[in-house]
Amino acid sequence: MSLPLFDTTLHAFALLFSGDPALWAIIWVSLKTSVLGLLLAAPPAILLGYVIAMYRFRGRRIAIWLAQAALSLPTVLIGLLLYLLLSRSGPLGDFRWLFSQPGIVFGQLVVALPVLLAFTLAAVQALDPRYAETAVALGASRRQVMLRVLYEGRFGVMAAVLSGFGRVISEVGCALMVGGNIEGQTRTITTAIALETSKGEFAQGIALGIVLVTLALLMNGALMLLQGDAHVARNRG
Amino acid sequence: MSISIHTSISAAVYENENVPKRDERRKALLGVRGLRKRHGERLLFDIERIEIATHSAYVLTGINGAGKSTLLRVLGGLERAEIDSLRFDTEDVLRVHPYPRALREAIVYVHQHPILFSTSVAHNIGYGLQMRKLPQDEIARAVEAAMAWAGVTHLQGTDPTKLSGGEKQRVALARARVLQPKLLLLDEPTSNLDGAAREQVIELIPTMVEAGSSIVIACHDRDLIGLPGVQRIKLRDGHLEYR
Repeated sequence: MSLPLFDTTLHAFALLFSGDPALWAIIWVSLKTSVLGLLLAAPPAILLGYVIAMYRFRGRRIAIWLAQAALSLPTVLIGLLLYLLLSRSGPLGDFRWLFSQPGIVFGQLVVALPVLLAFTLAAVQALDPRYAETAVALGASRRQVMLRVLYEGRFGVMAAVLSGFGRVISEVGCALMVGGNIEGQTRTITTAIALETSKGEFAQGIALGIVLVTLALLMNGALMLLQGDAHVARNRG
Repeated sequence: MSISIHTSISAAVYENENVPKRDERRKALLGVRGLRKRHGERLLFDIERIEIATHSAYVLTGINGAGKSTLLRVLGGLERAEIDSLRFDTEDVLRVHPYPRALREAIVYVHQHPILFSTSVAHNIGYGLQMRKLPQDEIARAVEAAMAWAGVTHLQGTDPTKLSGGEKQRVALARARVLQPKLLLLDEPTSNLDGAAREQVIELIPTMVEAGSSIVIACHDRDLIGLPGVQRIKLRDGHLEYR
């Protein structure tokens, strides 16, 4: 007697290794839109996270509160808001981004922003304040101090970027509402899994799930390799 | 032992006829009028005036919690305080928070427990020179000389997290000295050291004055307080007493 899950998983591996063009097109769209969205979100989010962590200004606590609260925003709600913004009658309708890859990239940018900001904020806040003070005491300018602090907190910032990637590659709500799940154009790993499952086609869903899990393992493994025993050494030092 | 050896070196330098006598080369370096620091409602100190001369060393004493470290941090531009007027090297400083670039480059503050950047010892020592955008070959020469001065040449490629407390303190002093600051502020440089490490750090301090810096050291260390030519300032009940 064969188990349905076992058979479906075997079929999923067969799909992956057979080089099924439809499957790999979905993976490519997912990777492309996620990486682009992340690359666009990272510079402003890291800068904002640094500024909120390092400077005291009126409304700072509110900024921290909003950044952390934004982490809990369901991506489907972000998708709904972006749908209204990008639809023909919306304020950004002229861009014609709805149901297109640029629309998904824009959505991923908005989804990644709070994760990158909140994690960078936490990473910089956790860093020993003497790093920034030492840079100032040695004559560094504000920009030079920022570069030094972000370098010293690089593992935290890298973890922020990886968490942001994890969020955008695995979210389904925003990609579905803004992208429209159009085959060969805006179908991503997660929207495809949702669709195939609803049709009772589990093999492709499991194959795409394997890709997601493999990506998560690879990204986190790479971060661990980069970190080495730095956190141990820092605690000791 | 090492202190007495060093004292003789200092005396030899001052006796050298090519080097101006200490009193001849002294002039006003830093003058502060009306410096007040509050922690919430509490007034930590209210200092009428501070006068620091060039080519001079001062020890700043006072009981724990008197505000010695805070005073050094304020003078180093790391902490805000109410300041009526500040004059540095014959120039009135109009903007105190933050310090203008010229002042940031002239005054260097070293933490009680210095932190080293997670690069190499050589990079740490050259960091301030890089911030000043000096040519790389000039930086390399200055770093090499500073490492030799601090006795840390053998550590130049070492991971800073693997250094002992004394080695870190010497690297921090080399990192400050290489910038040839007009004013060097040292916060308890020997407080976490003992034995040979402490003596090595004490030996380095007078040579920095000889190299042209003025130094203010917050400390309780009797050997530092007793170094020849060092003037004592005491922070007591929020006021400065010159001795």
